[in-house]
Amino acid sequence: MSENKIVTLAEDEPLNLDGGGSLSKFKTAYTTYGKLNDKKNNSILVCHALTGDQYVASDHPITKKNGWWSMVVGPDKPIDTNKFFVICPNVIGGCMGSTGPKEINPENGKEFATDFPVITIADMVRAQKLLIDYLGIEKIFCVTGGSMGGMLVLEWLSKFPEMVHSAVPIATATNHSAQNIALNELARQSIMADPNWQSGNYYHSDKKPMKGLSVARMAAHISYLSKEALQSKFGRNLQDKNSLDYSFDADFQIESYLRHQGFTFVDRFDANSYLYITRAMDYFDVSSANNGSLIEAFKKTQSKILCVSFTSDWLYPTSENKKIVKVFNSLGLNVSFIEIETENGHDSFLLDEPKFFEALKGFINSTFENL
Amino acid sequence: MSLINENKDFGVIAKLIPNNASVIDVGCNDGSLLEYLREYKNIDGRGMEIDQKKVQLCLAKGISVIEGDADTDLYDYPDKLFDYSILTYTLQATKSPKTVMQQLVRISKKAIISFPNFGHWKIGASLLLNRKMPVSEKLSYSWHETPNLHFCTINDFIDLCEELEIKIEKKGDLSNKKLSNFSGKNFLDSYFNEVGLFLVSKD
Repeated sequence: MSENKIVTLAEDEPLNLDGGGSLSKFKTAYTTYGKLNDKKNNSILVCHALTGDQYVASDHPITKKNGWWSMVVGPDKPIDTNKFFVICPNVIGGCMGSTGPKEINPENGKEFATDFPVITIADMVRAQKLLIDYLGIEKIFCVTGGSMGGMLVLEWLSKFPEMVHSAVPIATATNHSAQNIALNELARQSIMADPNWQSGNYYHSDKKPMKGLSVARMAAHISYLSKEALQSKFGRNLQDKNSLDYSFDADFQIESYLRHQGFTFVDRFDANSYLYITRAMDYFDVSSANNGSLIEAFKKTQSKILCVSFTSDWLYPTSENKKIVKVFNSLGLNVSFIEIETENGHDSFLLDEPKFFEALKGFINSTFENL
Repeated sequence: MSLINENKDFGVIAKLIPNNASVIDVGCNDGSLLEYLREYKNIDGRGMEIDQKKVQLCLAKGISVIEGDADTDLYDYPDKLFDYSILTYTLQATKSPKTVMQQLVRISKKAIISFPNFGHWKIGASLLLNRKMPVSEKLSYSWHETPNLHFCTINDFIDLCEELEIKIEKKGDLSNKKLSNFSGKNFLDSYFNEVGLFLVSKD
């Protein structure tokens, strides 16, 4: 499995950001799997979601768990690394080695913390483009990702259409709804309300905003699951007890489960990164650089595309994904769409969903054969 | 419904479509017709299919396909996006054949529509003699399990086109693989064609 690699990009010219500032000599941490062929036409760029990272198919260095898409990426998997060269970079603003708030600002030798510029999904894509250039790839065979990863895919299709042969945006949207923004704001406020957040300057303190980040994760986790899945998994079952405690301890299994999700998350994620990345998602609107027109945004796109949604996903529902399909249809693009029936909610794209895997594999392999 | 006889039907449909045309096959099944047209006519094809198993088969063949419903999802396409739309053996299974036909001629310059002819003499005879809903090669379901909601005869179809101001340009006869210009209702067609196949358009 792949080793983590770190490359410094934008060494000659800074990366100009949507918010006005710029980043120069920034780091991108990434993993690769498989081999780039001689024609350099077999690369697949995998874009991770909000709390994902470059460990797509290798064990996570902190949690020691399997990569977040280890069911999808690997030898003989739907994205077959015997055939394809898979690249997965940690986004800028992230916290697994790419330049972000917890990394050292070369200008003053201190952590960026909240001096890190507010970045956008388009900035992340521009940074990824520099990595692809660095790897000597002119045209990516396929760009894919779910949730925020899907936003990155859409931005790639809009910004660098000539570099993308095919694309699979999964469980995503062209912009965040008020509900999406509201949920992210809840998460940010919970981090910033934690006194240990200390306006973001907690890196040298023994007090870290663990409670705030943990609550943020708990709230987000609810949005990743469907009501049906929660009900069938937990219902009103009690946690290691036979009767109610009449206290505020975790009486119900769902409470205990969420607390566990929250506590384990803080070990591997940086609270400031959570603020920056959720902000980028809220700001995302793929049409914004084109006077609000989605048609304009994808006017130059020629890629072959597969859009995927999941029936019980209420965070990025089928209706939002179908909007994307409609735009691609209006442009007469080679677009396919499939809606996978499941009760696993938004998290479905990270879980064992055989029909999703079949569609992904069928699309990728047939597209590669017809290159 | 895999009622399509590849050798017969595909060839006749292919005769109606010029090389390099853009084509949408509504109810495209496993994508074989689009594959056939891609091979022999170099078309730029798209499919729409309601059955996910068949959508998967299309994806594996490299055919661009939308998992969708002819009754609701054709609205997503702009006017005259395609040169041709194709609807084979699907019209009778739609909730509203009328709006589906209107959508087809809206999104494409020409539409090819085929359907089992309920006016065929065997069906009439079967109904007359057995007093049972007919089951044949082209109508292979029992009445209680059929997905077909709106059977029609060739003459019904012609009447509906007239009502919708849709112009019938050509008619096909699958038994002898012949195409001819349409010149109004015809006794022989309505009695002896098991399948109605028409090329229609509306400006």
